[in-house]
Amino acid sequence: MDLQEAIARRRFLKSMAGAGAATLAMGSPKKLLANETLVQPEATADSCILIWMGGGMAAPDTFDPKTYVPYEVGLPVEKMVSTFPAIDTAVDNIKICEGLENIASVMDRATLIRSAVQPDLGSILHSRHQYHWHTGYVPPQTVACPHLGAWMAKVLGPKNPVIPPFINIGQRLEGVGEKEELKAFTTAGFFGSEFGPMNLPFPQQAAQSVLPPQGMSPGRFSSRDRLFRKLVAESPQREFASDFHQESILRSMDNAYRLLSSKERSAFDITEEPKESYEKYDTSRFGRGCLLARRLVESGARFVEVTTEYVPFLHWDTHADGHRTVARMHSEMDRPIAQLILDLESRGLLDRTLVIIASEFSRDAIVEGRPGSSANDQATHKVDKLGDMKHYGLHRHFTGGTSVVMFGGGTKRGFLYGKTADERPLLAVENPVTVTDMHATIMQAMGVSPKTGFDIEGRPFYVTEDGKGQPVMDVFS
Amino acid sequence: MRVSTICLRCRLAALSTVLSLVLVTPALAIDFAHEVVPILRAHCVKCHGGDEAKGGFSLNTRKLFLEGGAAEPGNAKESHFLELIASPDNDMQMPPKDLPRVPADQRRILARWVNEGLPWTSGFTFRENSYVPPLLPRQVNLPGPVGLNPIDQILRKHFKEAGLVPPKPVDDSTFLRRVSLDLVGLLPTQEQRRRFLASENANKRQVLVDDLLGRDVDYAEHWLTFWNDLLRNDYTGTGFITGGRKQISKWLYRSLVENKSYDQFARQLISPPDNDSRGFIDGIKWRGTVSAGQTVEIQFAQSVAQSFLGINLKCASCHDSFIDRWKLTDAYSLAAVYSNRPLDIHRCDKPTGEVATPAWLFPELGEIDTGLPPNERLKQLADLMTDQRNGRFARTIVNRLWAQLMGQGIVHPLDAMHTEPWNEDLLDFLANYLVESGYNLKAVLRLIATSAVYGGVSEVLGNDPASTEHVFVGRRAHRMTAEQFMDAVWQLTGAAPATIDAPVARGKADPQSAAQVNLQAEWVWGQSQSGGKPAPAGETLVFRAELRVPAEIKTGVAVLTVDNAFDLYINQRKVVSGDEWSKPQTVALSKWLKVQKDDTEPANQIEIIARNAGSGPNLAGLFFEAHLTLENGAKITLASGPNWSYTDEEQGRKRLRSGKLVGPWKKVVSAGRPAVYAGVDAALQNGLARGKAGDLMMVRAGLVKSDFLMRSLGRPNRDQIVTSRPADLTTLEAIDLSNGETLARTLQLGALRYAESDLSDRQVVQEIFIGALTRPPTNAELSVGLDALRMASVEGEPGDAADLSSRETAVQDLLWAVFMMPEFLMVR
Repeated sequence: MDLQEAIARRRFLKSMAGAGAATLAMGSPKKLLANETLVQPEATADSCILIWMGGGMAAPDTFDPKTYVPYEVGLPVEKMVSTFPAIDTAVDNIKICEGLENIASVMDRATLIRSAVQPDLGSILHSRHQYHWHTGYVPPQTVACPHLGAWMAKVLGPKNPVIPPFINIGQRLEGVGEKEELKAFTTAGFFGSEFGPMNLPFPQQAAQSVLPPQGMSPGRFSSRDRLFRKLVAESPQREFASDFHQESILRSMDNAYRLLSSKERSAFDITEEPKESYEKYDTSRFGRGCLLARRLVESGARFVEVTTEYVPFLHWDTHADGHRTVARMHSEMDRPIAQLILDLESRGLLDRTLVIIASEFSRDAIVEGRPGSSANDQATHKVDKLGDMKHYGLHRHFTGGTSVVMFGGGTKRGFLYGKTADERPLLAVENPVTVTDMHATIMQAMGVSPKTGFDIEGRPFYVTEDGKGQPVMDVFS
Repeated sequence: MRVSTICLRCRLAALSTVLSLVLVTPALAIDFAHEVVPILRAHCVKCHGGDEAKGGFSLNTRKLFLEGGAAEPGNAKESHFLELIASPDNDMQMPPKDLPRVPADQRRILARWVNEGLPWTSGFTFRENSYVPPLLPRQVNLPGPVGLNPIDQILRKHFKEAGLVPPKPVDDSTFLRRVSLDLVGLLPTQEQRRRFLASENANKRQVLVDDLLGRDVDYAEHWLTFWNDLLRNDYTGTGFITGGRKQISKWLYRSLVENKSYDQFARQLISPPDNDSRGFIDGIKWRGTVSAGQTVEIQFAQSVAQSFLGINLKCASCHDSFIDRWKLTDAYSLAAVYSNRPLDIHRCDKPTGEVATPAWLFPELGEIDTGLPPNERLKQLADLMTDQRNGRFARTIVNRLWAQLMGQGIVHPLDAMHTEPWNEDLLDFLANYLVESGYNLKAVLRLIATSAVYGGVSEVLGNDPASTEHVFVGRRAHRMTAEQFMDAVWQLTGAAPATIDAPVARGKADPQSAAQVNLQAEWVWGQSQSGGKPAPAGETLVFRAELRVPAEIKTGVAVLTVDNAFDLYINQRKVVSGDEWSKPQTVALSKWLKVQKDDTEPANQIEIIARNAGSGPNLAGLFFEAHLTLENGAKITLASGPNWSYTDEEQGRKRLRSGKLVGPWKKVVSAGRPAVYAGVDAALQNGLARGKAGDLMMVRAGLVKSDFLMRSLGRPNRDQIVTSRPADLTTLEAIDLSNGETLARTLQLGALRYAESDLSDRQVVQEIFIGALTRPPTNAELSVGLDALRMASVEGEPGDAADLSSRETAVQDLLWAVFMMPEFLMVR
């Protein structure tokens, strides 16, 4: 770190501290006294990439293949389990689904958890499970809960002071169904917007969000900034020059200007990626999002979420035509994810970057929720026997056994954890991992105790639900 | 399975039954609040907590607990109190021999607690809060001198006792900007500034405050934001799309325009006279299973307690609160007032087996009659809440108003009304003042805004306000809300959007212009009423008219009403409904109508589904009248009358929405303007006049849906009640302000206005400064501004398009730089 950077970092950290303290003025988040004596675990990762398969990624058609039953007219729906055959991976005892050949080749860097479980929450609504997964708390709540990324931003701060610590790639929050529900958890909640996400729904336009406004040359941008500074300096309201709020405004303006004119800014511009490398990721918006995530982590991002995007009835939200849709999802995700892992590895970043592939729940052909659930059948075509290709696939929600893949960040390599039943119902039968414990595990890697908490309106609020998360220590090497 | 969202202890019990076949519940960290406190309370606190310290031992705080040597953190074996609890020796054992023993499972919890290091919730104490907030109003004897604003009388004493010098008065410009933003949320115009500064009236600040508070519509459209936050009302958001939530926008808007007295306001929210104000108590009906702590009944209890009493019942919705006096039964009893089903009490999401009895939080003022039906109980609750003896009700709202103007509550945080105010006299006086004024909120605002302390210089915060003990030294500057920022920017750039999203008819008609409106429409119905017969009960007809709009609309308003109920559709989109003929609806039309550039384009379709209610044949009628003024000056009227047609609704709404209604279309029967309906004429005239006035006003940010920029600037998702906005500008906000598209577009529009004007550079700089900061630029600022504009002119050839555009970009940048100045962003 050269001197300039060191100064910049100090200023930024000071500003972050200032911002944190400023939130206190609102009578909200106070760090719990207990935190002072809390021993934080040693971090095994500095950055985190959450690859979010919004909509319900069917484990039997991705990372947990069961009996393969090919399409056949007249096949009873209950006979349908996996709609893709299993393939070998780089690890002897791990097989995953056909279509994921590139990921299969890097599974020797992965810890595969096949036993993630979720509660049913009544009607198995995507948005409620997504809220739960991202905040650790089941909605609705009496306070606005912060996203996992906001917790990292709040507790750990930025890794590189000029890169916002919480970046959210690929999810539109306007113009899509359930947008209000998406906004409800894509937020820093009671921490305040300083710790909220920088939203980059379109990876190709990400560069614009850190560029000066469209049509403004760099020269004009800096002269505008100079003009602003001159006016502040000339302000006749001198008595406010030392005012706490005034300083905080100027600090934030300063931070923004620094990012928008920094060299790290180019990390947001995926078109600067060499063509050959770019093409490896260029399968889809999601694939390009993976590339953006890699570039940001290389530049020092703390937490990046990149998603295939949740849009009701699209992508992983397969209520019909599941097989063909998942085949498309395979082709979108396979190369970019594998390339992301290889790139992080070749840059020496994988050891300190935790990459997670996860979804709000899995899917099944005949069970909605979990056996015994009274939720409505959400399949679009309610048929007993397959009559058309669009009937072929896993069209119902399933919360009893979901796959989560982790790479790097101190997790074991080529490791399989947990197991689901071989026959339906495909429940987790070994080492079930709740959302709460999943959070504890992720936070453990990042060096944050699951009991880290803040006082919100007189109620202690913890990074894992009520401070009860238990990290799954078996997945760490 | 119900799923707890709050209390994990109980949750795990439920979870482990699901997973018990495959999972041994792992040992969990002790939960002090939920596991330990109840045991200590049940067995120890009576003698060793609060004011009691039998044997010299108090366990009020962790420190005291350890000082007595009762426990060795991390070592249960060495902890004396565990020994005493477990001891079979009658002389030694605790609790003493005549009291019940601590059961073995609870002893194990305590041992675990010790072994885990005796964790203790920060700030928690068994000592009763030494401050007990009074419930009844309290008479305040003003210290004098008589004639001084009572607030200043009280604060004179405060300043003297604290050894402080009261703040000096601010200059007139600063005061003007401050009080305009605080009371109506708008920047003063140049003309307002000129008049105010020129006035030599010694009472001109009071006159100004009265003028501002007299601007009923501006006032309402500013305070709408405060109330939307406090009553969690919004125009879009979770729950609306599934019908699980209702807006109260229309009711709220009118209540603010009318300055409805606050007791009546609260009564109509708690015990809604009709559907218009129901949304508040009905809360949000979430989809799927929700925890027992988030049912609509419990939401009712939480919302009523928080909004009106500054009481946080969120803890007590799940278990007895650890931070104040409220218990689980208090929350459920209040919920039961609303509930129309027996309400099973759940502790941490598990039923306790008890059913809640309707009651409210302060039975000392009167009780709820449990035998009454829910609506009657709500009426009783509303009466109790607004009873003049309920000092908490008045204190809570005046504290909020004080904070809005003065930057910080007299009790702070605002929703911790059980804590001590920094000046009891001030709070109690303001509360009494509210009651004595007939619950007139504007009267309280007026009193505050005309005090010397409000008109004094704002506190300069040397330090983080949270890290220092609060001593009131003067008004605290606060940041503009997202809505204030947008309104101010729109005022200066003219870039406000054209239409609002709030389903309200804006404005207020002055009685004169309303009386001048000449109603032209006639009451019509179907052929069932020909020859003066009454229409059959339940008859439903679809009326239809077409409206051609050949040019942009300047003002457009419609009023309509149906005896008994209607849904209005314009171009197949549902616009408004009504089910009370005596309350006509007013609709701002410009957002719904399309302009027909030529005759080939289809005209606007107006369709009204109208229903006659009743049990036997009775009079039915529809009245519709629209007045449009177009940008080209043309005036258009569309009025129901004999030339209208209708059909039966049997074809269904779907057909209507897809624009495929097929006749047969029949001629209506007109009843003219029968005397029986004359009672609504004034309301109809008023609606038309008001709509015209409303359309001529700038759209305010508080009336449009939240967007990316406003969200970034701190406008909350109103899923929860919000009582304060963020105090500081964050880096992400600064990024959005620095390069966001929304603001950039606004700046372009604003700059174009200046560039196309024939103002000189100097005038441009002056206008921008006076507009934004309510003061002219200093010489130094003027020269900075002029430099910025001149540099731009040098780049392009004078007189050509490049010059114009570069001057335009220079103005954009100047506007931006001024908007980012802390002096602009803060209400100082």
